[in-house]
Amino acid sequence: MTKSDSDMIDALFAQARTQSPAVSDDLMVRVLADAADMLVHPVVAPKPALWPTFMELIGGWPSVGGLAMAGVAGIWVGVAPPASVTTWAADLIGSPVSIDLLSDTSDYFAEGLLDG
Amino acid sequence: MTTQLGSWRDAPDAALLLAYAQGDMDAARVLTARVLPRVLAQATRMLSDRAEAEDVSQDALMRLWKIAPDWRQDEAQVTTWLYRVTANLCTDRLRKRRNVPLDEIAEPADPQRSAPGQLQDKARFSALSDALAQMPERQAQAVSLRHLEGLSNPEIADVMNISLRSVESLTARGKRALTGILQGRKAELGYDDD
Repeated sequence: MTKSDSDMIDALFAQARTQSPAVSDDLMVRVLADAADMLVHPVVAPKPALWPTFMELIGGWPSVGGLAMAGVAGIWVGVAPPASVTTWAADLIGSPVSIDLLSDTSDYFAEGLLDG
Repeated sequence: MTTQLGSWRDAPDAALLLAYAQGDMDAARVLTARVLPRVLAQATRMLSDRAEAEDVSQDALMRLWKIAPDWRQDEAQVTTWLYRVTANLCTDRLRKRRNVPLDEIAEPADPQRSAPGQLQDKARFSALSDALAQMPERQAQAVSLRHLEGLSNPEIADVMNISLRSVESLTARGKRALTGILQGRKAELGYDDD
């Protein structure tokens, strides 16, 4: 940027800064009409509905399908677990063991209650 | 009514805006008389087109009325907010010019501007506006706020919500870019004779 170019730009800026157009009556009327109209008809942001918000949160209908499939599969596994699941569970947590903590005393308590 | 208008005369801009939001149109009148000339001047200097500048000014004020109920006095000054909104609206308009060849931009007919000097001025302002349209938008905003509106760097940082260092960089690069765009038109714009 030569001094001559810089001078030209500075002169152009200085001249452009002098542009201060008067506000026309028409523009003033339009702006104040907008202001009055906005008081009468304020723009209210619509409150987001719960269901669309939920759907957006989980990712839409494809996610709903996936959730439904997972739910049905879970119920099915609970009702009729495949053998492999039982085996896997046993390997993981061991075979279920029942311990009867009251086996020796239950008769005693039962008798006591019956004898009054 | 005159008394009411008078009572608002010395009120801060934000107080006027909040009073308007409560339904006081006198406050809106005082605020409009105060800020509209500055908004119109900013838009005119950036766009060099009276009709477009008026549309932008109306749009900027419309946005101010919309935001009035939610205005928080401690967040920003009304003038800073208006500088930002007006600059953004003007940038939107300038962006649309990019796809239009310079030769196809029609000069607005204005019978009063017949004197050679006025035509020269008009050509210079249009050239400046068209050059702003060709620049990166942030540079164009920073340059116009600095050199057309005369804002200080801290004020520009507030308006554009950027750091002082970014303002300095944008204005310096912007001015170089503007010079590069316009240097080939020096003779055409009559600067060889000045």
